[in-house]
Amino acid sequence: MSAQTPQASRMRGLLLVAGREIRVRGLSKANLISLIVTVVIVGVLAALPSLIGGDDSDEKIGLAGSTAPAMQAQLDAMGGFDITIYDSAAEAEQAVEDETVEAAVTDGALYSLDGVANEVETKIDAAWQAASVQTNLAAAGLSDQEITGALTVQPLEFVTLESASGVTGPLDYFTGLIISIIMFMMLMTPVQYIAMGVVEEKSSRIVEILLTSLKPWQLLGGKVIGLGVISLVNLVAMIAVGLGVSAATGMLADLPPGTSSAAVSTIGWWLLAFALFGTLAGGVGSLVSRQEESGSVLTPLIMSLTLSYLGAIFLLNAPTSTFAEVLSIVPPFSGIAMPTRMAIAEVPAWQIVLSGVLLALAAGGALALGSQLYKRSVLYTGSRMKLSEALRRAA
Amino acid sequence: MLEIKDLHKRFGDTVALDGVSLTAAPGEVVGFVGANGAGKTTTMRIAMGVLAADSGQIVYDGTPLDVETRRRFGYMPSERGLYPKMKTAEQIAYFGELHGMSRAEAKRAAAALLEQLNLADRAGDFVQDLSLGNQQRVQLAVSLVHDPEALILDEPFSGLDPIAVDVMGTALKDRAANGAPVIFSSHQLDLIERLCDSVVIIGSGRIIAAGSVEALKAKEVKQLRVSVQTPEDLTDALPGTVTRDGDDYLVEDADDQEVLRVAVAAGRVTHFAYDQPTIAEIFREAVTR
Repeated sequence: MSAQTPQASRMRGLLLVAGREIRVRGLSKANLISLIVTVVIVGVLAALPSLIGGDDSDEKIGLAGSTAPAMQAQLDAMGGFDITIYDSAAEAEQAVEDETVEAAVTDGALYSLDGVANEVETKIDAAWQAASVQTNLAAAGLSDQEITGALTVQPLEFVTLESASGVTGPLDYFTGLIISIIMFMMLMTPVQYIAMGVVEEKSSRIVEILLTSLKPWQLLGGKVIGLGVISLVNLVAMIAVGLGVSAATGMLADLPPGTSSAAVSTIGWWLLAFALFGTLAGGVGSLVSRQEESGSVLTPLIMSLTLSYLGAIFLLNAPTSTFAEVLSIVPPFSGIAMPTRMAIAEVPAWQIVLSGVLLALAAGGALALGSQLYKRSVLYTGSRMKLSEALRRAA
Repeated sequence: MLEIKDLHKRFGDTVALDGVSLTAAPGEVVGFVGANGAGKTTTMRIAMGVLAADSGQIVYDGTPLDVETRRRFGYMPSERGLYPKMKTAEQIAYFGELHGMSRAEAKRAAAALLEQLNLADRAGDFVQDLSLGNQQRVQLAVSLVHDPEALILDEPFSGLDPIAVDVMGTALKDRAANGAPVIFSSHQLDLIERLCDSVVIIGSGRIIAAGSVEALKAKEVKQLRVSVQTPEDLTDALPGTVTRDGDDYLVEDADDQEVLRVAVAAGRVTHFAYDQPTIAEIFREAVTR
């Protein structure tokens, strides 16, 4: 047995408890399987947009007639077409019937079996018009240079303006939705595990042995840290896979500029919210002695988590409303609401700071309250202890 | 030297402990006996710091017992508890680490204890898959894994099979032989008699008798039992108050040398001794007094 300073042994106790949670829960088959499944789902979701839009095989088009060279030039310039030149309109028509090409353009006619996709039709039409103009201009006696000059058009510059509501776009809505769902799940699961773990130790009476070598705060703190680490690993894995797959498929560049930072700052919000809900869950869990009763004491926590989530969903539709501002500043709702709001709208810095400070204060308060509750009621067995009684009891 | 000094504890209106004191010297095995609800568990919980006393203190080797020292104690609570979903060896080692052992030390100690308890082949099984008796053995291992320097055990023998009882008894004796004070409670008074150097009897939160086993027995000495091979009835011949117990005579209030002379004169004396009360009798006597 090694001699240790009291501080070192206090930390060691905390870490031992956390380590046990990680070993027993985090490395359990159930958790590993669910992590793998979740990561695969996130990866597939992230890859989905590029998979759906990934059909870039060139459109096979046949060309014939005197306009064919001009058309070919236009279509080549647009890209996405696999062009075959036929000697006559009849041959081109035959090619369409044989389905060697999707469509064929001769002098003045577009042949196809059952029409062509809108997008393709638009392009062919545009090419046809440009080619016709070019042919007409040449017929009118203009030189090639003059024709090029006349046809050179500065393309439109697309400028996306934020609407008055501050909503930046549908992709932000999606990001906000994903953030709120992940936050909700990543809080709900460990919070329930913490309460279950506390009740397990209490109902199996093992807590009595534990408390001969550990302080209550070490036992509760270690449990919260341990489950926190497990959830954090899951959360980071999800975000990393999501961003990684997006980067690999080239989608990352298409996401709104704030997406990556929003995803990363979500981890910070999660830490604060988890500290708040986790320690409270441990505190109220210690009020009961049997697993069946844990549901009743957890209800207020589950309710406020659910309300936070529903509020965040509502907020997505009105991110600049007063409701959204209040919800994203007042704890405990701000834990989910703020990162969601940050994903969808521009949030003034002072609101972010205020919200963070309030949430941190609330988490500190929850830590104190939760550990007091725990300390006072963890050894009390029998019927459920009333909250007021636990608070009144001397530790 | 482990000293429990003048503990007082109330639960609401109920007085659980009313000035409980007891000591265990190094190497002494102290049996803690009392009816259900007498205050044994409360006393032990307070000694282990699981419960706070209203007043009184626990002193170990002259200084009040602190958390660091207490971690080197071994404790078995009356309400047994283990993590059901943790592997046996892992669990024992975990408690070793909580008591301050390094991981390697704890693993070694856990393996050695499992071997000793005939549980080596169950080392990798979840505790919930063990039979109740085997879980009890694991519980025992948990309280012994860190080679404790003092033992406080609440009903360590309850629910143990005879082999485990022997292992437990040997373990207690071993620790005591190494100089550890050992306090344990039990309702199995024959075990107390066999294992303990001294006995403390508690009733309604108060110590009603305490002392070495010999001293207690001597204090409670009963009648002189005499057995004589003779056809005569010696009831009237023997001095003092004489009663019959089968073929034996029980003599009270008489000079034993005088009784012996009369008995020898009457026939062949096959038994002549003072009856020694069992701890069970002393206990019954004490709690009904």
